[in-house]
Amino acid sequence: MSEATKTLTKGDLFKHFMLGYSSETAYNYERLQALGRANASVDLLNKLYDTKEEKINAIQKYFVFFNTEPSFIGTVIHGIEASMEEQIANGAPIADDEFNSIRTGLMGPMAGIGDTVSQGIVYPILAGIGCSLAVQGNFAGPIIFELGYKAIMLGLGWYMYTLGYKQGKTAIINMLRDKTLDRITELFSIVGLMVVGSMAFSRVAITSPLVWQFSESAFKLQDAFDMLFPGVLPLLITMGVWWLTKRFKPTTVIAIIFAVGIVLALLGVITTPL
Amino acid sequence: MLLKAILVALIATCSTWWFSHSITRTWLYPLWSGFLVALAMGQPLEGMQAAAYINLAYLGWITAGGTMPGNLMVAGVFGTALTLLSGADPKLAVTFAVPFSLLGIISWQGYMTINALWVHRAEKYAAEGNLQGVRMMNYLPSFFVSLLLNGVPAFILVYFGGDLATRLINSVPQPVINALATVGAIMPALGIAMLLNYMGKPKLIPFFFLGFFLAAYLKLDVMAITIFAAVIAVVMYLFFTPKPKDTEVSNV
Repeated sequence: MSEATKTLTKGDLFKHFMLGYSSETAYNYERLQALGRANASVDLLNKLYDTKEEKINAIQKYFVFFNTEPSFIGTVIHGIEASMEEQIANGAPIADDEFNSIRTGLMGPMAGIGDTVSQGIVYPILAGIGCSLAVQGNFAGPIIFELGYKAIMLGLGWYMYTLGYKQGKTAIINMLRDKTLDRITELFSIVGLMVVGSMAFSRVAITSPLVWQFSESAFKLQDAFDMLFPGVLPLLITMGVWWLTKRFKPTTVIAIIFAVGIVLALLGVITTPL
Repeated sequence: MLLKAILVALIATCSTWWFSHSITRTWLYPLWSGFLVALAMGQPLEGMQAAAYINLAYLGWITAGGTMPGNLMVAGVFGTALTLLSGADPKLAVTFAVPFSLLGIISWQGYMTINALWVHRAEKYAAEGNLQGVRMMNYLPSFFVSLLLNGVPAFILVYFGGDLATRLINSVPQPVINALATVGAIMPALGIAMLLNYMGKPKLIPFFFLGFFLAAYLKLDVMAITIFAAVIAVVMYLFFTPKPKDTEVSNV
């Protein structure tokens, strides 16, 4: 009781948060982000404990298999880690297996949400815009992608980290139970799908060079397409590839695209404006 | 050329050795890593275009749990470098990049397997109370593994590969070049298809077609479509969010 409570300052927390971005520096199949989490804990433990024995005791629990999405959403688990470490240092009876069962219980759901946000929403929308600008020779393309992606990543990452630190696992359980998150994901998916829909038209740049010569005039197939149904070839190709991806591995689909694409192009059925 | 080769080797190394995702998270993606290669090689415009053409094929590639269906980092760095070295049209970049990305699956598996060694060393240091040793094991050895698997091949490609790449691309007849460019133009369909599989719940798929036809018939560009899409999403949210209070009142 008389002992002063050990508290982590905002600076300590920010450092722990930033070290979380090294979770995948020694990424490996055996234990994924375990070493990365141990590395992030080093400064926390140096701050919270004085003796070597206490530190040895504290760091060893991190060497279990651990894997989540560590940049956008999974940072909430990093925040919970900091909060639990602080409580343990102040005498709370949180056993190592309890500590780890909370972390490993959350890592799956957080990976699911985090991968959807980072790779299913933020990446395709920003890369879609960035690539469209870049192929036109506009340097804003890669710059918008880099700055936009990092701003969202660090902003959301820090928000989730502090949420985890302040509210612990109840914050996440409430978040999972509340349907708001699902709805927001769906709304962003609308933006993502519309963006890639427009890119299926503009970036699957396939036309047909077929021409039928009649005595009086020439019939150009592509002219008819442009008049009746602009983008019919990009749409058919995208739908065809989509159908293939539901049946074959990506590498097989790539092989099919190479084979069919080269044959049809050499036969003069399809081409791309060079 | 020596300086260029060293810089590209470092980019190749760090696009796999993620020392801090606050910096390296976007190095996974060809648009950014390829752009860095373009800057390093002194051809920002062509390199950026090559990088963008490569990235389009990977719009829907989800890499989760350390498995990936093709190595994006290798595709971006090596594909851009080879395009610039050979002087080929940036539209061909994706056809160069894809074979590298498939080879890259093997180097990725090597990286993920070898790195397990450092966890065991770190665990030993932890038991001895050597916390700085744990930190060193997290950062240092994986740098050298990535340098060996990615950096050295990139260096060799840029330093020695220029002549060979130019001669190869010049020896390919024009119809074959056109055919490869056509394949490159189909590749974005793969990225799009994988994204549809990942986030296309049946009830959301119509929005894909809405985006397609807005571009096809109204010729709207991607920024305009993003803005319209955002407005539609906000309207959907405001109009269709269930309000439990209202239903209670109406039941009374």
